[in-house]
Amino acid sequence: MRASYNWLRELSGVDAPADEIADKLTGAGLEVEGVERLGEGLEGVVVAEVRGVRPHPHRDRLRLVRVFDGAGEHEVVCGAPNVPDAGGRVLLARLGATLPGGLEIAERDLGGVVSRGMLCSEVELGIGADAAGIVVLGPHDAGAPGDAATDALRLRDVVFEIGLTPNRPDCLGHVGLARELALLYGRTLVLPAAQAPAALVEEGDALLAAGPARFALPLAAPPAGRVGPRVEAVRPAARGPAVEVEIRDAERCPRYGAALVLGVTSGPSPLWVRYRLHCLGIRAISNLVDATNLVLMERGHPIHGFDLDKVRGRKIVVRAAADGERMATLDDVERTLTADDLLICDGEGPVAVAGVMGGADSEMGEGTRDVLIECAYFDPRSVRRTSRRLGLHTEASHRFERGVDPSAVRAVLARAATLLAELGGGAVVPDGLDVVARSIEAPSVVLCHARMARLLGVEVPPAFTRRVLEGIGCEVLDDAAAAIEVRVPSHRPDLAMEADLIEEVARIYGYDRVPTAVPRVRPSKDGTPVSIRFDRRLREAAAAGAGLTEAITYAFVAPGALEAARVSTQAVPLHNPLSEERSVMRTSLLPGLLEAAAVTRRREPVSVQLFELGTVFAPGDGALPIERPMFAWLLAGPRPGWIGTDGALDFYDGKGRLEGTLRALGAFTPELRLDPAIEQLAPFLHPRRAARIALGGRDLGVLGEVHPDVCGALGLDARAVYGELDVAGLEAATRALGVAQARALPRYPAAVRDIAMVVREGHAVGEIMDALRDAGGALVERIELFDRYQGEHVPDGHVSLAFHVVYRDPQATLTDKRVDAAHAKLGATAEARFEARLRA
Amino acid sequence: MTRPDAPEEGGAGEAARELRDGLAKIGAEFRASLAEASDEPSLRERNARWVGPGGALTRLMKLMPKVPSGERRDLGKQINALKTEVNEAFEHALVALERAAREAELAATPLDVTLPGRDVRAGRLHPITRVRYELLDIFGALGFDVADGPEIDLHENCFDKLGFPADHPATDMQDTFYITREELGASATTLLRTHTSTIQIREMLRREPPLAIVAPGAVYRRDDDATHSPMFFQIEGFLVDEDVSFSELKGVLTLFARRLFDAEVSLRFRPSYFPFVEPGGEVDVSCVFCRAWERDAARTAACGVCKGTGWIEILGCGMIHPTVFRNVGYDAERYTGFAFGMGLDRIAMLKYGVPNIRLLYENDVRFLSGF
Repeated sequence: MRASYNWLRELSGVDAPADEIADKLTGAGLEVEGVERLGEGLEGVVVAEVRGVRPHPHRDRLRLVRVFDGAGEHEVVCGAPNVPDAGGRVLLARLGATLPGGLEIAERDLGGVVSRGMLCSEVELGIGADAAGIVVLGPHDAGAPGDAATDALRLRDVVFEIGLTPNRPDCLGHVGLARELALLYGRTLVLPAAQAPAALVEEGDALLAAGPARFALPLAAPPAGRVGPRVEAVRPAARGPAVEVEIRDAERCPRYGAALVLGVTSGPSPLWVRYRLHCLGIRAISNLVDATNLVLMERGHPIHGFDLDKVRGRKIVVRAAADGERMATLDDVERTLTADDLLICDGEGPVAVAGVMGGADSEMGEGTRDVLIECAYFDPRSVRRTSRRLGLHTEASHRFERGVDPSAVRAVLARAATLLAELGGGAVVPDGLDVVARSIEAPSVVLCHARMARLLGVEVPPAFTRRVLEGIGCEVLDDAAAAIEVRVPSHRPDLAMEADLIEEVARIYGYDRVPTAVPRVRPSKDGTPVSIRFDRRLREAAAAGAGLTEAITYAFVAPGALEAARVSTQAVPLHNPLSEERSVMRTSLLPGLLEAAAVTRRREPVSVQLFELGTVFAPGDGALPIERPMFAWLLAGPRPGWIGTDGALDFYDGKGRLEGTLRALGAFTPELRLDPAIEQLAPFLHPRRAARIALGGRDLGVLGEVHPDVCGALGLDARAVYGELDVAGLEAATRALGVAQARALPRYPAAVRDIAMVVREGHAVGEIMDALRDAGGALVERIELFDRYQGEHVPDGHVSLAFHVVYRDPQATLTDKRVDAAHAKLGATAEARFEARLRA
Repeated sequence: MTRPDAPEEGGAGEAARELRDGLAKIGAEFRASLAEASDEPSLRERNARWVGPGGALTRLMKLMPKVPSGERRDLGKQINALKTEVNEAFEHALVALERAAREAELAATPLDVTLPGRDVRAGRLHPITRVRYELLDIFGALGFDVADGPEIDLHENCFDKLGFPADHPATDMQDTFYITREELGASATTLLRTHTSTIQIREMLRREPPLAIVAPGAVYRRDDDATHSPMFFQIEGFLVDEDVSFSELKGVLTLFARRLFDAEVSLRFRPSYFPFVEPGGEVDVSCVFCRAWERDAARTAACGVCKGTGWIEILGCGMIHPTVFRNVGYDAERYTGFAFGMGLDRIAMLKYGVPNIRLLYENDVRFLSGF
């Protein structure tokens, strides 16, 4: 919401610096997000009177305009098509002025004639949107030749950009903001009734259907010393059947009011109106439309002006649309409606979508003479549903869906009618119609002072509380020592219970004035489940134990990415995704990590070693889909080595990261095994370079090189290694291990012997090691592979392996003899089981 | 009696002679030999020629039993003296060699200390994660438990039970990704949670006061621009007990902010609106970039982060709305409570000076490795 500082000052009577006002509003919950100062750069611009116009001697399109600027006459060259005749007033930028756009005004030779100044358009002055011609002041505009434009025409303002929360529809108009401001400065807003217009229509009430809905517009008497309104007879052309309003849907339209202004003339608004609307970010259109917009911005209550001639049958019917019913809105779009939409119709058909947008057929235009003004209260939820269904968010729908003041209908009609007559030059019909189909009662609420003190932690004096409640418009029903009862104002639909009033008092009292207390936190008996803390252990294990860096990727992906990554495509789709790229919930962390690797490596071919702990989703049978936390890691690119690289990261790097992570979690070794079913289980992995991961006999995940087709499809230029583990399973396995227990260090020394052999390729080293360990019996403490070699001196299809075998007897010092005996068994086993050829 | 002994006498004399000759010879040779050794293996090898199992000195000692008893004592002394001498000489030579080697090393060409160190790099945690655990530590120390909940949840938990009126623009504050949407506003509709306040509802439905809980997690909103990511992270905190006051909310958050930023920052509480708290507010912290609490006006005026205001908005908070208590079956007359929520992304951006939220989710390794 853009708000004018000048206007707020006029309405509230508060005269304080703009910055101070901005701070006060922010402190009261009406956050001023921006302050824009308008009218700077207009110092050298004055009102000037045209004294004569003559053609330019050499240029057809230019004219020489002699203007009087209060001090003297100057001749300026002007190319605008709308230079007025002598006596007209224009705005002159004097020599030396610098316009808001940065243009410096100096003597300029234009086609052989020196121009001493410049006649300016709205755009050049930054005071409006009209660039077609220069500003020509009308009879409504003040200013004598020589007057500074900013002063005479009040072309100086400060605009507050206020970020309003949706609970404050009352502040969507300047009156509401002024009420807040008055309260913040210890005043009470007094809103005068609409001033009597210059002209009233005699016997105009005959133009309105008789009945209880007819009422006299609340108009103030003209101020002393001013003549009362002129009374005009109804023009014969304006006569016709009495205007009638019928509400057929009381639920969605509790109240509908109408007023008439006759004999208006459409034309441009005076400069002050155009300027004010410009400041508020609204385009000036015509005096008639501008009047309705000005009332909207003043009262926060949307009104609509119909061209009375186009209201067929002079009848307004408010009813639900029929399913499939169509109408053209103001924006020239043909809309199809549903039975949940509310229509304003005339005697023959729809003329507006209630609370959202008027129709193209009945809108006010250049030929409009008589205007029917609508001011209504529509059910907020209904307007919101229609607005969303049609994708039409308008100034009107924005306010109706937040809730306008239902009891303001008559005052707003009076204000609208008088302003329309003032700007359009018509006469107001002194009566209006106000049909109430369902009354909206503002609730009464009791505020208990002690309860407020307990909730806030501070005692607010009851007198202060009362002043706040009255200041926001409450009517005090009962003011006792312990509590105060009020009827909340109809412009505050957000106030319904005590807590609402406490907030009102607190925000005016000032949150910053509430003292700060050291909290006491009583422990709850439930505490934090251990499983919740596991995510941290796992992340820290991956980072510290395995050197992996954490990625956080989006949980929604493209369905095509799941397919390309060969992971499950049984995904949970979003109903309203932002784009196809993020339209289903991921079923695996693989696509996201591959994309992260690809993004990095497209920029720079660095080493990527990432992990992620995130949720994957699958459709479920219950109310909610199945969510499963997964831990995954992905390696791609060169292996970081010392000086120069040691080739590309491969399967064994992936396995090392797994082991490092698990070690950091509590020292246990994963079981990796080949599984012929891996192609079905993990089709995203290389079928010959992948394994299942088990812990404590339970399958918990897979590890392998990513299938080269998958890397290619997801745009990764390098080989990648990927592993994943089910986090819940890992947590259970970790928990089953318990806490690592201290072990005494061995008292007797170990004996280390090496065994080297050549075996045929295809024997799993793990199996060989298991067999050796079994053969050595209890004396073998551990076996380590320290060399694996293929090449010279090793026959084709064979591999040379060398192991350290650590022997130890925990109870005694080993003798060579015992070790020799055991070691010999290892050799024999290798020969017998694996046809190994032992090497010296 | 002497005759038969003669050959024996003669053999004993032979041994004694051999021994004596040997002693003289060895005495001259071993010093020269040890002196020639240039390194430890050759020194040990040379030493073994005398004292090793087949060494000259060892051989001589084996002659001792054959030496006539009259000479045995004297020769024994001599041989022991020689053995001591050999051992000492060896030890000396060894020490000399070691010293020479060490001195050579100490005088050698210096290392190129500019060669890179061998990498033992640990991985890094994502900045959002770092902030997450930092906050959990701070609130944990204040006595808060940790809870979590599903990312896809019911409309009922995300909006209805929190007091969002149906068809009210308040729901526009959080533009929602729906999973199912057969019917607008139906409480059984499923959606990606728009805030971690769903966990507030879930925990309150599950547990009884007193409660003090923080709940971090991923949340989702249909915004995607320079300052919004459609997925981001929040942490929710709430405390429910008898007589919890707004004062205490201010106290907890002030403690929190000072620990987080490790500075005497001030907090500014402004009224604001969230349907599930009342009074509700937003909290600004004094700008940590221009250290606004030090009141250096020129520095603050030039600060691009707080735009010269000296304040940065960090969180929303308020007293839990009585409607929420009623919706979860708590006695709103007996209990009061406060709740607060903040974006972990925002805190991470402030804390680590991240200029653009996209960096947080792009996962460029070069960015992630920087923390």
